[in-house]
Amino acid sequence: MTITREAVEAFLFHEADLLDDMDAEAWLALWAPECCYWVPCNGRDDSTDPQRQVSIIYDDRARLEDRIYRLMSSAAHSQRPRSRMRRVVGNIRYEVREGEVHTRSNFLLAELRRGRQEIWSGVSQHRLLPASDGFQIRAKTVLLTQSDEAIDNLTFLL
Amino acid sequence: MNAPHALSDYAHLVQPDRVHSAIYTDPAIFEQEMARIFHRTWLCVGHQAELPNPGDFRATTLGRQPVIMVRGEDGQVRVFMNRCRHRGMTVCETETGNARFFTCWYHGWVYRNTGPLQDVPGPAGYGADFHKEDFGLTLVPRQASYRGFVFASLAPTGPTLAEHLGPAAKYLDIYMDASPVGDIDVTAGVHRTRYRGNWKFVGMDGYHPHYTHRSVLDAWRRRSGGNMADTHHGDPFADDSGNLTRDLGNGHVLLDFFPGRMGNLDRYLATLRKLPQGEDYIQAMHSAHGEARGNELLAWAGDPHVGIYPNLQLIGVQIRLVRPLAVDDTEVLMFPGLLKGVPASVNSLRLRQHESFYGPAGAGSPDDAELFERNQEGLQASVDPWLYLGRGLNRERVEPDGTRVGLVGDETTQRGQLRGWLELMSEALA
Ligand code: FES
Ligand SMILES: [Fe+2]
Repeated sequence: MTITREAVEAFLFHEADLLDDMDAEAWLALWAPECCYWVPCNGRDDSTDPQRQVSIIYDDRARLEDRIYRLMSSAAHSQRPRSRMRRVVGNIRYEVREGEVHTRSNFLLAELRRGRQEIWSGVSQHRLLPASDGFQIRAKTVLLTQSDEAIDNLTFLL
Repeated sequence: MNAPHALSDYAHLVQPDRVHSAIYTDPAIFEQEMARIFHRTWLCVGHQAELPNPGDFRATTLGRQPVIMVRGEDGQVRVFMNRCRHRGMTVCETETGNARFFTCWYHGWVYRNTGPLQDVPGPAGYGADFHKEDFGLTLVPRQASYRGFVFASLAPTGPTLAEHLGPAAKYLDIYMDASPVGDIDVTAGVHRTRYRGNWKFVGMDGYHPHYTHRSVLDAWRRRSGGNMADTHHGDPFADDSGNLTRDLGNGHVLLDFFPGRMGNLDRYLATLRKLPQGEDYIQAMHSAHGEARGNELLAWAGDPHVGIYPNLQLIGVQIRLVRPLAVDDTEVLMFPGLLKGVPASVNSLRLRQHESFYGPAGAGSPDDAELFERNQEGLQASVDPWLYLGRGLNRERVEPDGTRVGLVGDETTQRGQLRGWLELMSEALA
């Protein structure tokens, strides 16, 4: 496929819809067989070493599958009921490096659950592999604005 | 409703097999907990390994009182009240960092990281009876440490730390001695979590995993052919697992998984051997501690699963500190400890194991938090105000040293913590 801004935006917007609708299986299908889903902690960014620093999330493919499996279970109490969410993805920048598309975008997410609404925000960095029908996610790093605050429940997907 | 006088009758509220919901819901009792427990007994402030360099600090609270734990330029770790000696502003406004001086930005008094007052703007305005030496940062009334865990007490007198820990001290050893050099690194950061529920819900509960954590147990079973994790064989929470609960006195309790883990040692060693240089870790433990003790410590996997009353727990790889914010609001800090003297792969595994269950996006902590919040809601139904905590009373043993032992799912731990609570709450304030 040809890499255009339109195609990159369409993919990020599609991903945002799947996340908001908690269509976790369809979201999982976007990921490459070897992948990394990373949410650093303590206000750190992607220059930190996840082998020496704790992360909020540092999933390889197997851990990501476990996460989705658990989330779909009827006993994932912290998502019973589910979070209701809408996010806006914007400020999208991208560049093509060695056949991969590196994107950087902002998100603003309103999350409502059990009478409490939280506003989450941050920067998402995607590494996308062009595929026949769009892209596959090789890596996604989310720099969450709240990553050094006390958080009660981050079991929905960013 | 409860008559006010009954609510200060703590022995009525905490009975051998039941407890009154007021201790989880009543703001007045929470205030008494601050005064009688958190502003008096030994609290863990953190581990000194979080502050490897001179000037490293963490600002936190002991109960309601702000403090700074800082490694001074002389290498000593001290706990100061985070309060300017002039008019009382906090002198440290960030949670962590490194500082040679703490500057109070109200009027500019400057303190060394060892405590003394260094500078006062416009010293000519102070008379001859003003001596800077009298205005250093105030130390906590009592400070002591064990294996690098820094404890402080806001009461000038009381039991020593050794008396307070009693038989629980050896479980701090088990946490530290998972390292062949007996030391840890606490610079990997912290998971800060929070729930809208009472602080005492962070218990030590071997009865809840089958339900609270069913989603995780299912996910683990799916991966590991019926076992819950590499350290456990079969179901560690089953009454017939051989695992135990212990009440060590003074509110300290543990889930003792050692029997099951020792039985599963070979499987766990096989997991370690699959790591790059994993065999080196096993060998290092054997040469540091001898083969028998080394194997015991490997089986423990540095996870004593102990609660040191009231605010420290050592669970999995983490140092967990509990900070009550209000009667129905609690912050829990989870510091994963890395081992010194081990291959990098062992520490990577520790981090990944920790993240998979704990923290705000883990598979376990958020479900605990969710149920604690539902517990807080349920306790508002005070028509029948009693919580029943009698599981295992019919089979609890008292050991010769006075500690009590139950099966892993027995409420020996809850009863032990509440016995510690009752002792502290009943003791008159000095
Ligand atoms: S209150 Fe600190 S300098 Fe005045
Ligand atoms: Fe739990």
